[in-house]
Amino acid sequence: MKLYDQIFGVVKQFKKLFSPGPVTNADVSGSITAEIFLIVSMVLAVILLRHISPLLAGLVTLILAIVLISNIPLIPKFKIEQEDSLEKMLFYAIVVLALIVTFIYWGGILV
Amino acid sequence: MNELIPLMVIVPLMAALLISAFSKFNRSTKIFAFVVALCLPLIPILSNYGLHYFGGYEPMLDNVTGVMFHPAITYSFTFLQQVFIGAVGLLTFLVIFIYLTKYKEVSGPYLFLLFLGTAAVTAMILTDDIFHMFVFFEILALAQVGIVAASSIDYSYEMALKYMILGSIGSPMMLLGIGFLLALTGSVNITDIATAVHMGLIDATSPVFLLSLALIFFGWLYASGLPPFHTIKSGIYSKAEPHGAALLQSFTVMAMISIVLVMFRIYSTLPIFEVLIVFFSILAMILGVSLALTQTDFRRMIGFLAVGELGFIGLGIGLGTNFSLTAGLFQALNEILITALLFIGFGAIVNATNEVDTRKLGGLLAYHPKVSIMLLIGGLAMAGVPPLNGFQSKLMLVQASLSCGYPELSILAIMVSIATFVVFVKTYYTIFLKPKPNDLELENRDVPRSMVLVMGILLIIIVILGIFPDMVTNGISSFIGGIL
Repeated sequence: MKLYDQIFGVVKQFKKLFSPGPVTNADVSGSITAEIFLIVSMVLAVILLRHISPLLAGLVTLILAIVLISNIPLIPKFKIEQEDSLEKMLFYAIVVLALIVTFIYWGGILV
Repeated sequence: MNELIPLMVIVPLMAALLISAFSKFNRSTKIFAFVVALCLPLIPILSNYGLHYFGGYEPMLDNVTGVMFHPAITYSFTFLQQVFIGAVGLLTFLVIFIYLTKYKEVSGPYLFLLFLGTAAVTAMILTDDIFHMFVFFEILALAQVGIVAASSIDYSYEMALKYMILGSIGSPMMLLGIGFLLALTGSVNITDIATAVHMGLIDATSPVFLLSLALIFFGWLYASGLPPFHTIKSGIYSKAEPHGAALLQSFTVMAMISIVLVMFRIYSTLPIFEVLIVFFSILAMILGVSLALTQTDFRRMIGFLAVGELGFIGLGIGLGTNFSLTAGLFQALNEILITALLFIGFGAIVNATNEVDTRKLGGLLAYHPKVSIMLLIGGLAMAGVPPLNGFQSKLMLVQASLSCGYPELSILAIMVSIATFVVFVKTYYTIFLKPKPNDLELENRDVPRSMVLVMGILLIIIVILGIFPDMVTNGISSFIGGIL
């Protein structure tokens, strides 16, 4: 019952996503699909690390799966981080620029 | 007729300036805009393949190294350019046709922006000069901001301003990257730079060269709306007029492939380049479709789906083989057509109901059957259902990733297609199939016939490309063979 309660709690949290306004069956099913899609696709994408090291891929996949599942619902958190706020957009743009430059400048010749 | 090559840029550019200057003559402006727009898809069809050297400065042979140098700004016109310029030209014509028939009084500045954007993307895909490409990239960014700001939708100004502010980070970074390349090679000609890299005249592991890749790559993310710019890109689509959004997404796709092909020619020797493209493409696919699933504003939903579809293009290019690049570019062409159809179709629904919230809509199948059926087929094409064009390109991408030894990417691509299908079915059900809410007041307005006609034309092309993909893929494959 614990897992059921957890999933039911997730559905209740979706209400906040769609406020103001009614929450329809289609919206909830869409959000649950998004939740499952997000977890499965991220775990699947991490398996690509096997081209670097199978052990690394296994470890990261396991850790990511545990972190993602224990943190559901993810979609409300994702949506809050990706709203139309200029501050958040600028923040992520600058973070990505810094990561790309760092990754290529110091790691570019390694890959 | 190679003389027609520069005219592909000059005609829309001159038309933009003339329309802006003489826009007070409404009837003449309408006729002139229609005639010029009609010429846009015709010029690439009539033009011969070849090169155009501005100023007549032909390439020079260095007798010592045996290398050709290109002193002039060069336009290169091949099958790839023909297909994409033809597609955007046709779309510009259709969009201007909708605009001219929808409004009695046309806005000169708005038409100016539409033509300016078309000229900019045409120049970007034609040019063999990286600085020339950057200049038109900037012009394109301004045209996009203008098209969004000119719409009558609430908060469009705000969204346009945000896009411009983010551009003030993306564009200078790209220019800085180009500056580093110029410092290394002494040239802004892409062929010259690529030759210098491939002949080993430049150390590909030098920090300056690597940094130039990082900066140009970041500019490319901004131009193509891949993460972290996916939110703003979907935002500007949703705040533009529907026909404007249809054109905006084609500009995005054109800018994306123009810049990535340039990067591919210069940086393909660095494996990290392909890794980065695949990484950001996967991110765009996952985020685009996940966020589309949770939207209640259907314009925003299509915006996020369009961003997710960009990931497929990037995936094809990132895999780096002839087949995958062909698949990626074919997907780009398909996305231009399918997303335009969806934006125009859903725009027709906004026109008829004045409502964008899916929760407040329903039962529209009975009121607008033609639009609903065409939208259904368009949505199925985007989800990759046979025998439509989206199916062909996505199948090619799945095959390409399997043959490259990445079955995970194939599974991911199929999953994203299924999720896209779910998004579309959900939206289609809520707008067209569920019972009409009692409080929904339908405006006593029919969907403009011009919109239905344009949707019909796009649908015919989608079906033809789905049944005969070889019409396009063979030519693209030959082009790719030339740059690999």
